[in-house]
Formats: sequence, C-alpha cells, structure tokens
Amino acid sequence: MSQLAASPRPWLVGLREAIPLLGGYVPVAVSFGLISVQAGFSPWEAVVVSTLIYAGASQFLFVGMVAGGAPLWLVIAMTLLINLRHVVYGPNLAPWLTASRWWPWLMHGLTDQVFALAHHRLPQLPEAQRLGWFTGAALLAWASWIAGTALGAVAGNWLMARWPLLGEIMPFALPALFLVLVVPRFTSWRWSLALGSSILVALLCTLAGYTNVGIPFAAACGALCFYLVKADTARAGGDDE
Amino acid sequence: MSNTLWLAVLASAIGTLLLRLVPLLWMRRRLRQHDGENGSEALPQWLGILGPLMIGALFGVSLVPRHPDALSWLATLIGVAATLITWRFTRSLGWPIAAGVAAFGAVVILAGLV
Repeated sequence: MSQLAASPRPWLVGLREAIPLLGGYVPVAVSFGLISVQAGFSPWEAVVVSTLIYAGASQFLFVGMVAGGAPLWLVIAMTLLINLRHVVYGPNLAPWLTASRWWPWLMHGLTDQVFALAHHRLPQLPEAQRLGWFTGAALLAWASWIAGTALGAVAGNWLMARWPLLGEIMPFALPALFLVLVVPRFTSWRWSLALGSSILVALLCTLAGYTNVGIPFAAACGALCFYLVKADTARAGGDDE
Repeated sequence: MSNTLWLAVLASAIGTLLLRLVPLLWMRRRLRQHDGENGSEALPQWLGILGPLMIGALFGVSLVPRHPDALSWLATLIGVAATLITWRFTRSLGWPIAAGVAAFGAVVILAGLV
C-alpha cells in the first residue's frame, strides 16, 4: 500500500479500485433498465429511479410491484424493508471517516459492494486520502449503475441478444470481489466458524429464494456462532482471539 | 409516470438515504462522546462483528449462479479456486478478481463449445 500513501490523487485510486464492481453492476443495471421499460416505465424514468433510489434489489421490487398495481404505501414499505440491512454499514465505517461535511451526502453511495470495499480499504488509507478515495469509488459505482440502466432501457434487448455470455460471465466479478474482501478475515477458528456459517446460511437462503432476508439473517447466525464459540472457550478456560 | 408515483420514488429514495445516513450520524456522535479512544474500540462489539459477517453473507448470496445447474456450480467452484490461488500469491484486489472471472468465463465458454 506504500504507493497509495504517495498517491497525490486518492479519488483516482478509489476509482481504479472500484473497477471490479463494474463487472457486477453493469449487467444487473442493464437488466434493470430492460425490465423497467418492459414494465411500462420510460427510459428516463428508469434512469431517475436508478439515480435516486440506487439500491439494486429494491429497485427491481419497486418496478415489479408498481407494474403489478400494488398500493404505493406497500411499494415504499417493501423497498425500505429490503434496504434495512444498510443500517449496519455506516456505523462500521464511522471510525475511519474524517470530519468533512461531505460524508453524510456520500452515504447515498453506500451500497453493499461499496461498503464491503470501503470496510476493507479505509482503515489502510491515511486519513487525508479517505474522503477522496471514497468519493472516487462511490461515484464510479453510482455512474456505472445509472449508465447501465440507461443502456438497458434503450438497447437492453439488442445487447442481450448480441452478447448473451457477457451477462453470464461478468457478474462473477462480485463473488470474486467479496471473496477477496472476506478471506483476510479468516484469522482464527472463531472467525472462520462465524464467517463460514454466515456464508453458508446466506447461500442456502438464496437457493430457497430468500436473498434479501437472508443477508441480515446469515450475518446474525454468524454472530451467534461467534458468541457461542466464545462462551465455549471461556468455559474451557481458553481464549481464541 | 403519475405524480403519486413520483412521490413514491422520492419517498423510497429519501428513506433509503436515511437508512444509510442516520446510523452513521448516530455512530459519529457516539465516537465524539468517546473522544480520545481509538475509533474501532468505540464501536460496539456486536456492530464490529456484524460488519465482516455482512460481507461474508454478501459473498454467500453472490455465489449462487443465475442459473444454478451443475455447469454453473462447476464454473463457480473453479472461479473461486482461481480467485483464492491468485490472492494467495498476489495479496492484491484486482488480479484475483480478473483471474476468477477469466477462469469462470473459460469454463462457461468451453462447456458451450463441447
């Protein structure tokens, strides 16, 4: 990381390090644009939804429920319910945020992926570079989501027909990114068990069709394992920290 | 889009922003109250544990292929292995992801040719 400490333009570093996110963002955003238009939204309305709400899964739900004629209060409630997991993200980053007044506004860009990336990188960066780094990373992710939506809304059908494999292959960038971010956390048996159970429960929930509920539920199961192992080692008189 | 639908978009957008913002403001206030303490030490333990576990959960969710058949699972397995091996040698962020996507894509493309 020494080259980062010497970097005069931290936003550029953030931009560069967020590039792997595009592999996951763009294909999903293209799908969203396409589905929105099919659901009766105009291309620019789809772009506005992506710009303002900027939360993948809940946007699909929003468009789907509106198209299905659901009451709007229910659409809003379900959208927010899906995004409820985001409440954990800000506090986890707070110890590494500087005093700048820009941070609250930048929280609009705090998606799952940006959080995972920032949680890994912010503690490694010098204080003076954190705001720039986060701005670069978050803005690239946001811009790619908006651009992907526009592309999907305007030319989604053509794109899917022309390069069907691209939409199949590029999203693997997301599990690869999360893997790289999570692997360094396997520092002890206790953490390995907690992380392993969190991963497994989330995977099973997704297979069962409960992706959004599955994320906080899996994390809670992992935390339970974490504390159970502590209780066990405390009883045995050991310490696995 | 009707006016009420625009209001729904705005309400969802503002609500989502508040879900991301308000807990941060709460935590910043807490950190100010624990002035002098290391930032990560002022973080409640349960919250500090949930952060990495949420990333683990996101990894678990993202592992499931769009079309979960045997081939996709095999490609996922090989992609994960390639990511891990590259990470083991480079300890970087970009190369392991590139290697993982390349390995995953190679399996998908080769299977399509067979």
